[in-house]
Amino acid sequence: MGRFKDAAKYEKTIFAVISITTFLLIWYLVTKDTELGKVLAGPVTVFGKFFKSFTEPLGTHVIPGHILWSLSRVMVGYVVASILGIILGVTMGWSRLVEAMFRPLFEIIRPIPPIAWIPLAILWFGLGELTKYFLIALATFSNVTMNAYSGAKSVDPVLIGAARMLGASDSRIFMTIVLPASVPHIFAGLQIALGSAWATVVAAEMVRSSEGVGWVIITGQDTNNSVQILVGIIAVGIIGYVLAIMMRQIEANLCSWSERGK
Amino acid sequence: MKKDIIVCRDVKKSFETERGIVDVIGSVNLTVPENELLVLFGPGQCGKTTLINVMAGLETVSFGVVTVDGKKVEKPGPDRGVVYQATALFPWLTVMGNVEYGLKAKGVPKKERRERAQYYIDLVGLTGFENTFPSKLSGGMRQRVGIARAYCIEPTVLFMDEPFGHLDAQTRYLMQEELMRIWEKEKRTIVFVTNNIEEAVYLANRIVVMTNCPTTIKAEFNIDLPRPRDYVDPEFLRLREEISAIVDKTL
Ligand SMILES: Nc1ncnc2c1ncn2[C@@H]1O[C@H](COP(=O)(O)OP(=O)(O)OP(=O)(O)O)[C@@H](O)[C@H]1O
Ligand SMILES: [Mg+2]
Repeated sequence: MGRFKDAAKYEKTIFAVISITTFLLIWYLVTKDTELGKVLAGPVTVFGKFFKSFTEPLGTHVIPGHILWSLSRVMVGYVVASILGIILGVTMGWSRLVEAMFRPLFEIIRPIPPIAWIPLAILWFGLGELTKYFLIALATFSNVTMNAYSGAKSVDPVLIGAARMLGASDSRIFMTIVLPASVPHIFAGLQIALGSAWATVVAAEMVRSSEGVGWVIITGQDTNNSVQILVGIIAVGIIGYVLAIMMRQIEANLCSWSERGK
Repeated sequence: MKKDIIVCRDVKKSFETERGIVDVIGSVNLTVPENELLVLFGPGQCGKTTLINVMAGLETVSFGVVTVDGKKVEKPGPDRGVVYQATALFPWLTVMGNVEYGLKAKGVPKKERRERAQYYIDLVGLTGFENTFPSKLSGGMRQRVGIARAYCIEPTVLFMDEPFGHLDAQTRYLMQEELMRIWEKEKRTIVFVTNNIEEAVYLANRIVVMTNCPTTIKAEFNIDLPRPRDYVDPEFLRLREEISAIVDKTL
C-alpha cells in the first residue's frame, strides 16, 4: 500500500514537472525573436529579473521584502476576520436566534467581490493601511463565517443526543461536539478565504501603496515595464501556491481523525 | 422480589409532520425489573427506536409517564446509557476519549477517569486500541467502543438499539456472545432492541413482541433457557418458531 502511494506521488511530481517545463518552453518559443516578444518578455528575461530582484531592490525593497509586506497585511486582516468569522459562524449554526439575525445579511454581502468595496473603503479609511486590512478582512470574513456556519449546522443530531445522554451541558456540547464537528468545514472556509485574501491584497496595493507585490505590478504598468509586471505576477503565483499547500498540511494534521484527512 | 427499574405507564408518542399527526407508539405499559435483559422485538419501522428514545429521555412522551429508578424521565441524563444503531461515536476522539467522555462531563479527576475508562475498554476487549480513532476500527470494534462508553458512566439502565444490526453474520454472533460475557460480569438492566429473532432468543430474559405502528405490546415471553445458549438446541428452535409465527410482517 505504502509503495503504491509513493508511486502515485512520484507520478504526480513527474507530471507537474512536465507541464511546467512545457509551459515555459512554449512561452520561450513564442517570445523569441517574434512580434509578440516585443510586448511580452521571455521567461529567461523574466526569471533572470526575478532572481536578480532578490538582491537589487525594486523601488524601496527587494522582492522578498515586497512579499513580506503583502503577507503581513494579509495576516492582520485574515487572522482577525477568521477568528471573528469562526465564532460568528459556529454560533449561527448553534443558535436559531443568531442565525435569524445574521444569515440574511450574509446572503446579501457574500456575492459582492471584496474589490467592489475599494472606493467605499478609501472614503472611510483613507489611503493607508487600514483600507487594506478592511478589504482583506472582508474577503476573509464572509467565506469563513458561511463555512463555519454550514459546518455547525450539519452536526449529526444523534451525536449531540449521545453527548447529552452522557451528561454533557450545552456549553460542553458546543465546545466538544459542535466545534470539532465543524473543523473540516471551517478549514475549507479558511482555505478559500486565504486565496481570496491574497488576491485582494494585490488588488488593494495596486490602488495605492508604496510597497508590496501589488505595488510591483502597478509600477511596472506605470513605467511601461512588462518584465517587472511579470516578476510581480510570478511572486503572487508562487506565494499563493505555497499558502495553499501550507493550509492543506495544517488541515491534514488537525483532521487526522476524519476519513478524509489521510 | 426484584425492584422495578423502568416503568412505562400508558406511554404514547406521536409526531407532528407535514402530513399531519403520526401516532408511533399506541399505548405501552411496561415494567423492567433490576438486572433483567429485556429484548424489544418487532418488525422494521414499528417504532422501536422511538420507544427507546422516549425511555432514554431523548424524546418527550406525548402521553403517560416513564420512570427510571423512581425518577420521572423528562430529558437525557447519565443515569441512562444508550448504545446506538449506527454507533454514534465521536469521530474526533480516540477510543479512550470516547469512553471517558461521560466521566469528563461529570468532572471526575483525570487519574480516576482514566482508570475507570481503561477498565471498560479492557472489559469489551479493546486493550491496546486506546489511542485509535473510530474511523480506523472495524464495525464490531466500534460497537465495542459504544458499549464501553455507555457502561463507563455506570448508568442504572442501558438501552441498546439494534447495536449489531449493521454487522456481518459472523461478527454478529461473536458480539452476542461478547455482550453476554460482559453482562454476566457487569450485571445491568438492559433494554435491547432487535428485529432478529435468533438474537432475541439468544440474549433475552424476556422478549416483548411489538406490533406494527402505532406500536403496542403484542405478547411477552419469558426465556428460561440456561446460558450460554445453543442456537440449535431444540427448545431454542421451538421458541424461535413460536415467536416468529406471531410477529407482524414489516409494512
Ligand atoms: N422525529 C420524527 N418525526 C416524524 N416521524 C418520525 C420521527 N421519528 C420516527 N418517526 C416515524 O416513526 C416510525 C417508527 O420509527 P422508528 O425509527 O422508531 O422505528 P424502528 O422500529 O426503530 O425502525 P427500524 O427497524 O428501521 O430501526 C417511522 O415511520 C418514522 O417515520
Ligand atoms: Mg430503529
